[in-house]
Amino acid sequence: MEFFKANLIPAEIIVQLLAFMIVFFTLRKLAWKPILDSLEARRAKIRQEFESIEAAKREIEALKTEYAARLAKIEEEARSKVQEAVEEGRKISRDIQEKARAEAQAVFEKTQQNLDIEISKAQMVLKKSVVELSLQVAEKVLNEHLTDTKQQEKIEKIIAGIEEGATLS
Amino acid sequence: MADQAYSTVHHAAASGEHHDAHELPNFITLLHQSYPDNAVISFLNQYQTLFFSLFAAGLICFLCIRAARAESLVPQGLRNFMETIMEAIANFVTGILGEKHAPKHIPFLGTLFFYILVMNWGGLLPFWKSPTSAWSITFPLGLIVILYVQITGIREQGVWNYLKHLAGNPSTVVSFILLPMMLPLNIFLEVLAVPFSLSLRLFANISSEDRLLLKFAELNTLFTYKPFVFQLFANILVITFSVIQAFVFMLLTTVYLALILPHDEQHGHEEHSANAQHAH
Repeated sequence: MEFFKANLIPAEIIVQLLAFMIVFFTLRKLAWKPILDSLEARRAKIRQEFESIEAAKREIEALKTEYAARLAKIEEEARSKVQEAVEEGRKISRDIQEKARAEAQAVFEKTQQNLDIEISKAQMVLKKSVVELSLQVAEKVLNEHLTDTKQQEKIEKIIAGIEEGATLS
Repeated sequence: MADQAYSTVHHAAASGEHHDAHELPNFITLLHQSYPDNAVISFLNQYQTLFFSLFAAGLICFLCIRAARAESLVPQGLRNFMETIMEAIANFVTGILGEKHAPKHIPFLGTLFFYILVMNWGGLLPFWKSPTSAWSITFPLGLIVILYVQITGIREQGVWNYLKHLAGNPSTVVSFILLPMMLPLNIFLEVLAVPFSLSLRLFANISSEDRLLLKFAELNTLFTYKPFVFQLFANILVITFSVIQAFVFMLLTTVYLALILPHDEQHGHEEHSANAQHAH
């Protein structure tokens, strides 16, 4: 009993009871509630932000896949267009080549024809000159003019014979 | 300041007062020694434990309210420190009481922890005192705890269920026959013994710590070791045990609450029983 009397002082007990209750009610209202509320709010905010980050990540992933698909499609289209252009180019090149070849052939043939005509003309002129020259030679030799057509034909035959002989030789 | 305390202890020992002293002298004791006729100092000396406990209460209020007002998205300094401790306490209490009941009781348990811790650490400061080394200070805390627990029990369970709980939830004939014996036994164990066990444990531990500090300080005077080597060792012990004692007080209160709260789930019941066994 002495121990209780010495150590338990009623005034101190009552003041201590009141003091703790004042501290408790004060801190509950002014410290614990605001701090715990702000912790909870921060937790909720962080959770929400993490969720929004996850959603954004998913969205980005979906967009990435979509872009990759679009890019692949665009590349495919570009490749096919390039292919088409190459084919077109080859076709045009072929056509130009064929046309040029045909034109060259035509020019060649025409030139050939012109050349033949010119050769024939030249041959005719040459024959005539040879005949005239032969007649002049013969005239001089025979001192007479061989104007008769029959004689002229004979001389032409002789010249043709000479030419033929020359050709065969 | 250390040297002053040092010489004070030495002086106390030399003047033969060390036989009665069970803790290092605080500034009120010293003032009273110097001015024994001063009425204010005498009054303070008479209620010095109360003075130191009220100072601790004021300090906690100041620190907690200051921390609460420094709200910021990125907490710093005192706010950060207080948030860390408060969150740890909240998580600990939630782990025992469950998410349904914990939020209502976290402020009470947390305040109890802070208050006891700051009072316990008082003895470490030169010329200061641990108010919890006086039973007059710890007993009201035990009283408040048991009142809080019983009021919570009545509010959460209802009067009938609360009385049934006190009677040990009798359900068989044998338990009804044993009721006249079990009811007083439970009232004694769950209600009357609690403030005594809680307050005596805290008071005895902290007054022992103060004695330890005194004895180690006396060792310093004996060996004239200036750097307080022994005191440093004692201080580390006291810092640690003060935290443990404050934590144990809060833990036991949490367990009493867990036992009195209605058990919603089987899991919760098992958890509470395990905690109770662990506490006992």
